[in-house]
Amino acid sequence: MTAFIIRRLLYTVPIVFGVLLLTFFLFSVIGGDISYQIAGKNADAQTIAEIRHEYGLDKPLFIGPKGNRLDSQFFNHFFKAITFQFGYDLNRERIIERIGRGVIPSLALTVPMFIGTLVISIALALVSAFLRGSVLDAVLVVVCVAGMSIPYLSFIIFGQYVFAYQLDWFPIFYVPDKPIWYSVALPCLIGIVAGLGGSLRFYRTVMLDEMRNDYVRTAFAKGLSVPKVLFKHVLKNAMIPIVTNVVLSIPYLVLGSLLLERFFGIPGLGDLMVQAINSRDYFVLNAITYMMSLLIVIFTLLTDLCYAWVDPRVSLE
Amino acid sequence: MNITARRVGLILWMLIWCGGCGFRAKEDTSNTLHLALPTNLQTLDCGNIRDVYGMMVAGNIYETLYSYHYLKRPYVIEPLLAEGMPQISADQRTYLIRIREDVYFQDDPCFPSGKGRRLVAEDFVFAIKRIANVKYRSQNWPIFNERIVGLDAFREYTKTAADEWSVDYGMPVEGLKALDERTLQITLTRPWPQFLEIALSDAATAPVPKEAVDYYRARIPNHPVGTGPYQLVQWRRGSFLELVRNANWRGQPYPQDGEPADEAAGLLVDAGKRMPFIDRIIFRIIEEDQPRWLLFLRGELDTSGIPKDNFNQAIDPTGRQLTEQMRQRGIVLHTYIDPSTFWIGFNLKDPLLGANKPLRMAISRAIDRQRMIDLFANGRGIVAHGFVSPGLNSYDPTIADAGFSRYDPQEAKQLLAQAEALLGKPIPPLKLGMPGSDNVSRQMGQFLQQYFKEIGLTLQVDYMDWPTYLTEMKNGHLQMFSSGVSASCPDAIDFLEMFGTKYFSPGPNCFFYSNPEYDALLEQAQVMPDSPDRMALYRRMERMVMADYPAVFTMHRIAYALHHGWYKNVKPHTFSYNVIKYRRLDLLQRKNYQRLVYEARP
Repeated sequence: MTAFIIRRLLYTVPIVFGVLLLTFFLFSVIGGDISYQIAGKNADAQTIAEIRHEYGLDKPLFIGPKGNRLDSQFFNHFFKAITFQFGYDLNRERIIERIGRGVIPSLALTVPMFIGTLVISIALALVSAFLRGSVLDAVLVVVCVAGMSIPYLSFIIFGQYVFAYQLDWFPIFYVPDKPIWYSVALPCLIGIVAGLGGSLRFYRTVMLDEMRNDYVRTAFAKGLSVPKVLFKHVLKNAMIPIVTNVVLSIPYLVLGSLLLERFFGIPGLGDLMVQAINSRDYFVLNAITYMMSLLIVIFTLLTDLCYAWVDPRVSLE
Repeated sequence: MNITARRVGLILWMLIWCGGCGFRAKEDTSNTLHLALPTNLQTLDCGNIRDVYGMMVAGNIYETLYSYHYLKRPYVIEPLLAEGMPQISADQRTYLIRIREDVYFQDDPCFPSGKGRRLVAEDFVFAIKRIANVKYRSQNWPIFNERIVGLDAFREYTKTAADEWSVDYGMPVEGLKALDERTLQITLTRPWPQFLEIALSDAATAPVPKEAVDYYRARIPNHPVGTGPYQLVQWRRGSFLELVRNANWRGQPYPQDGEPADEAAGLLVDAGKRMPFIDRIIFRIIEEDQPRWLLFLRGELDTSGIPKDNFNQAIDPTGRQLTEQMRQRGIVLHTYIDPSTFWIGFNLKDPLLGANKPLRMAISRAIDRQRMIDLFANGRGIVAHGFVSPGLNSYDPTIADAGFSRYDPQEAKQLLAQAEALLGKPIPPLKLGMPGSDNVSRQMGQFLQQYFKEIGLTLQVDYMDWPTYLTEMKNGHLQMFSSGVSASCPDAIDFLEMFGTKYFSPGPNCFFYSNPEYDALLEQAQVMPDSPDRMALYRRMERMVMADYPAVFTMHRIAYALHHGWYKNVKPHTFSYNVIKYRRLDLLQRKNYQRLVYEARP
């Protein structure tokens, strides 16, 4: 087990290196010089030079000058990432603080949304799989396909207009005076409904595969009740794909939901990401991309560890 | 199982419904103004603010020596932090300004014991020197470049400093002196007739206490410390800002006079009353149109623009007035010229465009500007026949007769033939740099391509991200570019300077237009006091540029602004940002509206 973990951790080095290389090319080489944008419309050459100096844009791209070959944009990019010293954004605010501030609102939205979607879709998938071929199953499949076909934005616009504006059940937008749960309730429900179609379809397929196994017939033949067969046997055996899906989704929870946060004003990381894209704040984008890549690598490792935990047949040798 | 399912369903429904009831918006009875900003703010450090939305917030926190009268039109400058109008020397270069003695900064931890101290003349000296500090890299430096005696030398000195905070602000600047605690003397390098409008009423010159800069250092953009009627208590970046009354503000009476129509419009009801009337302001950052519009209709925002997609819901396209639905809600519409000009610029350094005036004229004749305005601005604009916008005091109402912006495809084709004869071969494909790759930018690109094609030209559009576009434009790498400008004061000098050789990019002249005769006139105009002669000169210069076709000037914007009837004393002001202190809320009216909206739900 230990050897496996160490080996997998070593794998992360080239992956993270690749991500850093890619972000460097995207934001520093292709992305363009942002000093004119920071300086404002009619800035003089001196101001632009100062900005380039402050953000290290006046340094060579790859190899630094004689005497300090590592003093280049490329190496600075790596050092900053490795030490988590992302520096300041275009508004001179510490990037790490901005990211830290956005995590809680994002999680307040995405965690209940994720759990809600998961529980409802697994429960309905079990029922649907058990009653496959019935009218209820057919209706669920049609509803799922319809749900998957409707753009996410339509759910948001419709939900906000009907439930917040017309019916006045929820706030239309983030209310600064109130706790965060007050503002995330509607986006959370919208997220659950919008995400249910794809999720339910996926788990229904997983459950159907399990239901066809001999042990299910045996369990029913033994006289076990339907809930016991479904929740104790089928669900347990279907855990591998569920775990894969769940654990790998966790890093994305931290990132929040770009569209929901933007339309409902939730000050999370999704909103921060959109703002950074709009204002071409490559420093923030860079930091978020890097941290996301780390989280994905870590949670992929956790997924593998969970396999062994939920299925004794899996060995991490 | 059926019964269980029904029970579960019923419980779920009750939970959602009861939860929903708990979420219902409450009637707002507090004296709080709710406004929306469509974009995030960069900074509230007045020395470095240049964006409109930053000014909209900061204008309530900071004050300047001079400001515009709230009601009078044409715009009139009046003292704000100054005791009176400045004493100006005979050579028009030295300004002596007395400062009010009853002005205090807001309370802030940067002061000893946290109590805001009295404003002194040295605070203005510090604010301007700070802008000159090259390490501070203020966006406002172009205002002062080569304007104040000794300030450019001070800027040179700051280059030697290790960082922004190690600059010695005690170093004297000959043209910038605090003669005593209440007297400020500024000596200009040459007369600057727009000094009060461009510099001394701009947030850039608002006094900043050195204590705040030293205390907050890099965090100063988030901690504005001013003398204005409001102070910032909370700023969640990207989400909202909360301002409350500044307890140290001296108070100011509401104006007693204005334009003749102001009394009938109810704008003098509060004449002489002590301001501000509103206790608290919440600015919410709402970037999407739908939530902003719905919040306004619900009465949770007091003002709104009109989103493109909701234009027909708000405005009757035939009469250009509010629809019946909006009138019944008591919503009020203000339309006014936003002094701005937009254009498709030609880079005159480009060997093809720079040497071929018939080609530039052909392109100008080829574009139907009115259709562009109808399609892309819901008709909220007027054709730009010159580059000086209506609303500025030297706007030439007869310039349309000169026909510089005439749409005439036939003439365009003739001009194109001349252009090709001049070049000696067919015109090669032309390139336009477009800032943005969003849908609207692409639609605009396609729109222009269609008109170019109609006269036989090929246009290639490069959709660029903003930093790339700016860099390319400023470095003169774009053959054509889409851009625009808004006026910062009622005088058109900013617009005229865009065509001076001295102002080549990175200055405002991105056209690289150069005309020695024009430059000589510009030198003359820049030092002329306001007079009929100067107005005639401005207009002559405008026509001189227009006749050279350095750009296809497309439109001037018309602003459509809505507010609810309970938001009182609203008179649009295009140059002043410290206007909320004049405004008042009728809380009962707002409460009744919100109740009606709630009761009218299905």
